Order: sequence, then C-alpha cells, then structure tokens
Amino acid sequence: MPEGRRRWWHHLTTQRPWLVTLYALVLGFVVGALVIITTTASVLDAWRAIFSSWSALGHAIKLTFDVVGAAYRTMFTGAVVNPRVFWHAVTTGQGWTYALTPMSETLTYAAPLIIASVGVGIAFQTGIFNIGANGQAILGGVAGAYAGSLIHLPTFLHLPLTLLAGILGGVAVGLIPGLLKAYTGAHEVIVTLMLNYVVAALLIFTLLSTALQQPGQQNDISRTIDPSAQLAPLFGAASGLRVNWGLAVAALVVVFAWWFLERSSLGFDFRVTGANPQAARASGINARAVIILVFVISGGLAGLAGIVQMAGTTHYLDGGFLIGNAGIGFTAITVALLGRNRPGGIVWSSLLFAGLGVGGRAMQAATGIPLDLATVIQSAVVLFVATPVLVQEIFRLRHTEAGEVRLATSGWGS
Amino acid sequence: MTRVSRLRVRGIGAFNVLLGLATALGFGLASGWKARSSLTFNPVDLSASAPWHVGTLTLATAPADLVLGLVMVALGVELWIRVPTRGVMARFGGVAVVFFLALLLWAVRTTGPAPINFVNVTAVLVGASALTMVLIFGSLSGVLCERAGVVNIAIEGQFIGGAFVGSMVASTTHDFFFAAIAGGAVGGLLGLILAFLSLRYLSDQIIVGVVLVTMLSGLSSYLNLQVLTPFPQYNTGNLAPNLPIPLLTKIPVLGPVLFDQTGFFYLMILLVAVVSFGLFQTRWGLRVRAVGEHPQAAATVGIRVVGVRYANVILGGVVAGFGGVAFMASQGQFQPGYTSGLGYIALAALIFGRWRPSGAVVASIIFGLSLYLSYNLQTFQVPVSTEVLGMVPYLITIAVVSGLIGRVRPPAADGVPYRRD
Amino acid sequence: MRLELRGITKRFGPLTANDHIDLTVEPGQIHCLLGENGAGKSTLMNVVFGLLHPDEGEILVDGVPQRFANSGEAVRKGIGMVHQHFMLVPVFSVAENVVLGFEPTRSLGRLDRARAREEIRRTSQEFNLEVDPDAIVENLPVGLQQRVEILKALNHDAELLILDEPTAVLTPQEIDALMAIMRSLAASGKSILFISHKLKEVRAVSDVVTVIRQGRVIDQVPPTTDEATLASLMVGRDVTLTVAKDAAAPGEPVLRLEDVVVRDDRGLVAVDHVSLSVHAGEILALAGVQGNGQTELVEAVAGMRDVESGRITLGGRDITNATPRHVLDGGLGHIPEDRQRYGLVMSMTLADNLVLNTPRRAPFAARGTRNLGAVRANAEDLVGRFDIRTTSVESPLSALSGGNQQKVIVARELSRPLEVLVAAQPTRGLDVGSIEYVHRQIVEQRNEGLAVLIVSSELDEVMALGDRIAVMHAGQITGVVDPSTSREQIGLLMAGAVGAADA
Repeated sequence: MPEGRRRWWHHLTTQRPWLVTLYALVLGFVVGALVIITTTASVLDAWRAIFSSWSALGHAIKLTFDVVGAAYRTMFTGAVVNPRVFWHAVTTGQGWTYALTPMSETLTYAAPLIIASVGVGIAFQTGIFNIGANGQAILGGVAGAYAGSLIHLPTFLHLPLTLLAGILGGVAVGLIPGLLKAYTGAHEVIVTLMLNYVVAALLIFTLLSTALQQPGQQNDISRTIDPSAQLAPLFGAASGLRVNWGLAVAALVVVFAWWFLERSSLGFDFRVTGANPQAARASGINARAVIILVFVISGGLAGLAGIVQMAGTTHYLDGGFLIGNAGIGFTAITVALLGRNRPGGIVWSSLLFAGLGVGGRAMQAATGIPLDLATVIQSAVVLFVATPVLVQEIFRLRHTEAGEVRLATSGWGS
Repeated sequence: MTRVSRLRVRGIGAFNVLLGLATALGFGLASGWKARSSLTFNPVDLSASAPWHVGTLTLATAPADLVLGLVMVALGVELWIRVPTRGVMARFGGVAVVFFLALLLWAVRTTGPAPINFVNVTAVLVGASALTMVLIFGSLSGVLCERAGVVNIAIEGQFIGGAFVGSMVASTTHDFFFAAIAGGAVGGLLGLILAFLSLRYLSDQIIVGVVLVTMLSGLSSYLNLQVLTPFPQYNTGNLAPNLPIPLLTKIPVLGPVLFDQTGFFYLMILLVAVVSFGLFQTRWGLRVRAVGEHPQAAATVGIRVVGVRYANVILGGVVAGFGGVAFMASQGQFQPGYTSGLGYIALAALIFGRWRPSGAVVASIIFGLSLYLSYNLQTFQVPVSTEVLGMVPYLITIAVVSGLIGRVRPPAADGVPYRRD
Repeated sequence: MRLELRGITKRFGPLTANDHIDLTVEPGQIHCLLGENGAGKSTLMNVVFGLLHPDEGEILVDGVPQRFANSGEAVRKGIGMVHQHFMLVPVFSVAENVVLGFEPTRSLGRLDRARAREEIRRTSQEFNLEVDPDAIVENLPVGLQQRVEILKALNHDAELLILDEPTAVLTPQEIDALMAIMRSLAASGKSILFISHKLKEVRAVSDVVTVIRQGRVIDQVPPTTDEATLASLMVGRDVTLTVAKDAAAPGEPVLRLEDVVVRDDRGLVAVDHVSLSVHAGEILALAGVQGNGQTELVEAVAGMRDVESGRITLGGRDITNATPRHVLDGGLGHIPEDRQRYGLVMSMTLADNLVLNTPRRAPFAARGTRNLGAVRANAEDLVGRFDIRTTSVESPLSALSGGNQQKVIVARELSRPLEVLVAAQPTRGLDVGSIEYVHRQIVEQRNEGLAVLIVSSELDEVMALGDRIAVMHAGQITGVVDPSTSREQIGLLMAGAVGAADA
C-alpha cells in the first residue's frame, strides 16, 4: 500500500489543470468563509469576548463553524437537495415538488448560463475575448420579445421563430465588434464593453416604444410573449417546477458545441487560430473570416441565452433584464474561464455557479447572509483559476504538466 | 506630424462638419420659425445671494440653432483645412459644448406666447460637473496605469470600493478628509492586487480587471445588506460641503461651476495639473512613459520596469479610489450598483482623450454633459429618447477605437506582459 | 577599455548557447565576432551586457572581474550596446531617448531639456554624429536611429561599444557612414565589439576576427583572411554529409519566379529582382548566408508575404500574391524555417498536426464534419512510415522531441499530392540520424518527379543535396552553379562576388 499511497499523494501535489480548478474552488470557499466571519456581528462579538476570558475561545470557534457551516449547508440544500425533505418525499410519496424545487431552480438558472458560456468559451478558444455577451443576450431577448409577442403562430412555428429571432438579435450585436476587429483592427474588448451599455440603453428605448411596451403601461415593461412562444415547464405546468425546455435547448447547444469544436472543420480552424495564429495563417486559414464567424457564433449563442432566459422564466422583459450582477453575459465569462472553455467543463461550472446563485438565495432566507456572497465566491474562484501559478505556490504543487489557462489578449493594439 | 495624426485631425474635422449640419438642419430648420427658447443663468442656490443677475435670455430657436450649427461647421472646416497640431481636442470639446447648447435650445423651445420651459445653464453645468469630476478621477487613474503599460479595466471596481469605504468613514468620522484617505487606500489595495496578479504571475490584465469589478460589485452588495442595512449609522448620508472660493464664485456662470465646489473637485483639478506636469515635464514621467512604450529599452538603461509598474498601478488605484469617494460625496451615501458603469466610461474617456490628462479632461466634460443630460432631459418633455443621448460616450469610443474618427495609438506596451529576459 | 571573457558558458535547458568562450577586446580595437544566426553571438553579447547571467566563466573589465546584475550596471561600467532591434522609444525625441535613465534634472524632478540638448550637441560634435536632438525617433530613417543608439551609449560614457548586427538594417550608403563612425570611435580610443555575418564588412572594418560556430570559438583570424575561408569557417563542416543519389532527370519547370521583388518587415527590399525556376525531378538548393532574402523569398512563394513586382507561377498557374490556402491547394508543400511558429500547433495532438493544412480534404472531413477515424488512421500510418517516435498519436505535439516535430512536418507535407516542395532549413537543430532521414525522404520525392527547392545556410547540406545550386546574396542571385563547383567558389558567391563561377 505505501506505493499506492505515495502515488495518490503525488497526484494531489502535481500541478494538473483539474487539480488547480479544484484547489481554486477550495480557496474560493475559504475566501467566502472569511468574508462571512469578518462581517457577521455575532461571530465578531464572540471573538471579542476572548479578550475578556479565554473560556470564550471554545464558544467563538464553535460559533464561527456554526455560522459558516449553516451558510454553506443552507446554500447546498437550497441549490441541490435537502436530504430531510427528500427523505420525507421518498417515504411518504408526498411533497415531491418541494423536494425537487432546489434542483429545478438550479437547472432553470443553469440553462441560459450554459448557452451563453459556451459562446464565450468558443470565442476564448479562438483567442477572442467576447466581453459583450451580456449585450448580445439582451438584444437576443429584445428580438425574441418582438417575435414572441407581435407575431401569432402555432407553437411548432412560433417557438422556433422566437428562438431564431433571439439568435439573430445576438448575432446583430456580435457582428459589430467582429466586423470592426476584422476590418479596422479595433480591439474587441473595448468595443464589446461599450456595446453592453449601448444595448442596455437600447433595451429601455425599445421597452418604452409603442410596439413592444405592455399596453396600458407607462413603465419599461414589454408585452408578455404568447404561450406558443414560451418554453414550457419540462414536467408540465402542474408539476410546480420551473425547470423548462430551455434545459433541452442548453443540452443541444452543448452537444452542438462539442461537435463544433471537436468534430467540425470550422471548429478546427477556430482552435488552430486560437492556439497559434501564425500557423493558422500559414496553413491557409482566413483570419478575417474566422474573426467574423467567431462573433456570429458567440453572439448568436449569447442571444439564444437571452431569449431562453426570457421565454423560459419571465415571459416578458423589463428594464432590469440581465442588468448588473444578474447579467448572465458577465457570469458567462467567469463560467467559461472556470470550465476551461470546453463544453463539458462549462456544464459543470454553470451548474456550480447557478447553484451558488440559487443556494445563495436560500442561504439569505435561512441565515440572513446576503446572497451576493455567491458573486464574491465566484469571482474569487476565477481569480485563482486565472492565476494558476499562485494556486500552485499556495499548495506547493510540483510543476510537471503545462496545462495552464492560456489566454492571449495582448494589449489594446488598435 | 505623422500621417496618422493628420488623418485623425481631419476625421474629427469631418465629424464636426457633419454634426454641425445635423444641428443646423435637425434642430435649427426643423424647429419652425415661431419657436422661442429661454435660457436662465442664475445659480439655483439663491441663498448664496449672487451679486450678479443675468436676465432670462429668449432666443428664436431656429436662427439660434442654425447659427450654432454653422459655427460647428466652421470649426470643422478649419480643422480640415489647417490641420493644426495643437488644441484639436479643445476644439472638439468646444464643438461638443455648442452641440449640447443647441440641443438644449431645441429641447425647451415653445411656440406659445409665454415661455413655459427654461434651461438653467448654470444648473446644468453644475450638475454635469459632479459626473465629469468622477470621470476625470477615473480616467486619470487609467492614464497613470496605462502610460506605464498596465491596462486598468478595474476602475469601476475601484470606484465601488472607494465609495463604499468612503461612506463608512465619512459617516463615522464626519470628515471627508479621512473618507478620501480610506477610499484612496482601498483603491490602492485593489491596484496592488491587479499589479500583483498581472506583474508577478503574468495573469491576463483584462481578465483580472473584469473579475475584480465583478468581485467588488458583489462584495459591496453583500456588505451593504450585511453591514450597512443593520447599522445604518455607517451610511448616514453626507454631502461633501462646498468650499466656495471668495470673489471667484461671483463670476457669472463660471463662478458656481468652477469655484463653488467640494474639496474633491479642487483635488481633482490639482491631480490633473500634477499628473500632466509629472508625466510630461519630469524625470519620473519620462521613465513611466518609457516603461509603457518600450519596457526593454527602459530596462537596458537600468530602469526597474516592474517597480515602476507596481508604483503606477497602485497610484492609479488610489486616484480611482478618490473618484469613488467623490462620487459618494456627491450622492450623499453609498448604494449598491449606483456607479452603473461610470468606471467604464472613464476608461472610454481615457481612450478618447488619447491617454493624456488634458484629453481625458475634455473627453470627461463631453461624456459628463451627455450623461447628465440623458439622466435629466426627461424634465423637458423631449420627443427624442434620452437613452439615445446616454449612448453617446460609448458610440464615440467605438468610433474612436475603430479609427472611424481617426485612429488613436495606445502606449505601445499597454497590456503586454513583461518578462525579465 | 580592455574587455576579457574567460570561459563564458550559457545554457538554455539542454541547449548550450555559449560553450567556454574566451575573447579579449583591446582598447581602441575593432573586434569582430563572426558567426551565423544561431551561432550564439547574441547570447554572448547579452551576457556581456548584463541582460543574461553566465552559468560559468567570468567577465573582466580592465582586468577586474565583474558581475552585472542588470544592464544598468554594465552601462555604468562603461559598456554600451547598440541592439539589433533598437532600444529606442519610438515616440520620444532624440534627446529624451539619449538621456533616458541618466536624465539631467532641475528642481521638482523637472527634466532639464536645455541641458540634455546641450549634452547631446556636445557629444554629437565630439564624435561627429550629427542629429537633431528634438526630432522624434520614429520619424527618423533607420540609419539615423542607429546613430541615436550610438549617441546614447556614448552619452553614458561608454568605453566599449557592442554593435549587434548593426548593418542588417542599413542601406549601402548608411553602412559606409557607419564604418567611418566606427573607425573614428576606435581612433579616439573606444573599443568596439562588432557582431556580424557579413564577410565584406567584417574584412573592411575589423582589426581582428573571432569566428564562432554552435556556441564555440572556432578560430581567431586577421581581417585579411579571404572571404571564402571566412565563409567556410563560419558554416563549418562538422558532419560529412553524403547523400546517395543518382543523377537527376529534370523535367519541365514547375515553380518559376520571374523578376520577383519582395520587401521585408521594415519595408526594405529583401528579394531584389530574383528569377529562378525549379524543374520536376530536381533539387534546387538555395545557398547563402542567412538574412540575405531567402526567408522573404520563401514566404512570398508560400503566399505569406506580398510580392511587390514580378510573377510567381506554379505548374503554369499564376500564384503571385495568392492566399496561402490557394498556394497549398495548388500543390505546394512548405516546410517552414520557424517550424514551431508557422508549421505546428504545439498544444494540439500529433494527429491534428498531421492534417493541419489539409483538414477539409477527403477522407479527413466530409460536409464540414471531421472524420477523426481517418485522421487517426492517417497519423498511425505516417508515424510508421516516417518513423515518428511518440507514445500515442493523440499526444500533444509539445511532448515530442525537436527531431520528431520536424518529421511531423516532413511527413505531413510529403504525404499529400505535391507539385513542388519548398523546404527552408529542413534539418536545422536535428541530430545526425534525423538529418540523414530527412535527406533520404527529400531525394526519394525528387526521384519520383517532385520539384524541390531547398533553402539552407549549411554549405554541406546544399552541396550534398542540390542538383543545382543557386547562391543568394543581398537579395540577389549571384550565381547558379553545379554541385561539383568548389567550396571556395561557392563561398565567393555567398560573399557577393557576382559571376565568380564563370571565371
């Protein structure tokens, strides 16, 4: 056995991509715990007490673990499953909706996130930083809202048309940085960053326009899209679970992305371009076409994410659609980085980040710790993933495999 | 002058001509000959008992906007023909101000017998100056970082951090001096993190910046609920007091805009002066710019490239932190999400201002005015959407980086990781 | 200044760039370091200048051992370097560049521009190096930029000046001017270490010549040594290459260049009205010291560099300024000089690299979908046929040795239908076994009727492989000769003696 154990230890101390990801996750949750500890009054009071008496130390440690533990436990039960409730459902056959709601919610949030992240990941793999997925997703939602509420068709035509409109909305926004980069060399980071705000303003503009605004409303709320354009709940409206056919769309997207990157000729061109642009050119790949197509695909997927979000959950748009922290387009950047830009990895990281968000809400309800902790953990994880050498140093990993997240954004270079 | 800059100057000239024509036709001729517009100039705060009083100015909208449009055309033609090497940005700023004036005249026009709407020019400028000030802090931060070759896309995060901590410190100490120091320290700390990850570990600067913004917006929302909501005494709301400069405040219009401001405004002016001077007149500035343009060349003469970059990124963080506190002090308290992308507009102002403090000031004035108007134009029942005006800074920036209005050139090594061999 | 190097050794991983180098530069001497690209000259100079630290050996300045932590210290000790890629900030003025790091200041750290200007004027006059202190460097012609570099070193009181390939970027007139400057500097007592691979200049200006090859000092000779001897010392003959091949049976010309002009990255003419034709069933070897336009010529043929004038045809079809895709599909096989950069994707698998430029060809893909089975089968087949040593065809290419990486390119190019093969430095960095293997493959292809253009700066390789040898110098073809021509004759052609072979 010593031989086997040594090998096991060797595995855990040798730098590998998945190991760095794992350790980054651990570090992210440690950061989250530290944030909780330093901002929860009861914990701080308990520690303050040890200045009066050492006997308070035990209590302080216990309370710290209780508070952090409660936070992470409620996060888990809120995002995945509450064993007690689940067991109750299994034994009595009652309360299945209640038992499955956490999972359903996580999957509901994960679906558009997966789609948008796959788009960002494909761009990253081609060496392109699409920071504008959020804007592309918003316009996808807007285009989908037009198609879903102003056209009236049977479901088998209306739903595909709505989704297609969403894709085209995203493509329209994505093409701007694509064409500008291909023909003028404008740096995609600045253009996409700026377009996010242009589109956010455009969203309000369209929501207040007569065509899209909910009749009788003065506020920035759109018409509700027809039921024929909605993504129906996966287990029927009667199930009480919100998880909808958007998840199936996401699954299709993952399969498509896997096929595209691993099996398609165009995807091969993309990967070669991302890995070695000079070799790509020398072997006959048309760089300009690749840049434009990357933005078509990445933007289209972001647009699809936007319409899936809207058609699957709210069924209408308002001024807060994908704004701020909630913007799936921004989360998608971090999800893609965590998932190493591969469809498989992105599925896991999307589930994780969606779970953090959903669980964060449950945590807030149960413990009062604000759900924004989820964002803090997410961004800490990604900072560590983006700095593998730091993780390697913290855990003293042996460096053998060169499997770092390599991203080449070299300056503004306009 | 190189060919590229000539193109840029001509591009700006052409843009001015087009904007002027649009103004003359769209605002001027389309207003109809009966329309009248009224402007007032008195300070809003009459308790200051301004010793001056400028009467309401009522103009015939169409001829006024026609004239303003033609002035813009003339300025554009002058740029196109003379292609001056200096003062291009200032001229562009002038055109932008004229444009906004024309827009305002058009927005408040009435055809009735008596004017219903007024534009208080002084109030508009005072209102916009708060936003402009914050943008200048942000773009100065960008100047410091990017001139040394590090892309600081985390300005927004430094604003948030500065505003949050600034509010806490201002609420507890009731002293904006300490608030500024604390906010600057938080900004500097964020700069240090950016520098550490990107200089020591060569992480991608853009990714680190973007993630830092996400982290700060999450952290500030979290702390807002966890700390500020249960303990509202830490976010009591304080507007920084104005420190009027005697006599100078009495200058009509300009007095209240420039000389009846908070300490942050004067700090901003001081920083603009110091950074402009330091960057272009001193040994420090020469070395910083060398590091941002050609780090290897700097290294061969014994300049410590990484050290210079650390110092500048931290310094830039401090300045952006000041900006956050200044924003908080102009709003009265901290609210999560209320910077709403100002940091990215500051980045845009930096690029539009060609990585120069003076250019950043002009760009920030234009962007600040257009933002302020987009927030406040609703009050005048304008038939155009205010959202369109809000897009202006972003669209201008896209046009600039694409070379549609002449091409800009960032410091050559901006964002490029530096390895010592 | 007297600079002495004793046993300098510098290794990069398994590669020894400098192997116990001894060298002494006397005061007032122009000492030339002659060697091919990759011989280790630049590494040695970076060691002297404090940019790299030697693994062994010591540097003595005027008899005192020195250890430079960085180049700033070397500068303070009186060593100045004019880099091949100028260390000048393009957007700065001449004065700003010259004083950078040693700025005269007034109160508040203000730059004393007047004093800077004065200093420069004084140094300019002293050494007769006229340049406007207020000019912006990027607006100056290259020759003047170099003058600024020299001025910068002199302004920092350099006693020893290292000039790294200083003539590579200059026009003939500028080169003459530089030579004059070098002579006058030496006359005023400065020591000069002059790095070059251009024989004429070396002979014209140096006092003594040290030849290095593969990181080792080969010989120290007087500048009066004739060019052919210098050339052969430089290219060397470490391995006696013998390639068994029958006489060629050349057919129709397949690749034709007519009066082709190509510019390099700096906009200078690199290929100067070159006309060549490569026939089916023959190997045309393009010889020449590196940096004489061969790289640009190959890039132009491969569609990667614009042709300014002239015409390139492949099998009768015009491929002048065609895209790389067009040229590759037209039947051109290309083994690029910098294979890691242009020929391979190190992070992708061996199998993928073997179809890098034919991913859409049957049977590797159909209707936009790749047939990974066929890609894999192709890889298994080529690994066997070309003896590529790997654990799996799915391993990333970075796991393969340099020789095996080169075999991957050779295998890829030779396994698809070709009309012409262009191979630039096809055996550089390979061990003897791999070299022989690659040579055999190339000869086999030629026997089967392929037209082959080999570009090599290894004279032995050129003479062993070529059915005809074209020699390139300064962008021009100085002669096309038979492989039986003597080394000395070819050496002369490499040195630019046009028509020497006819004599």
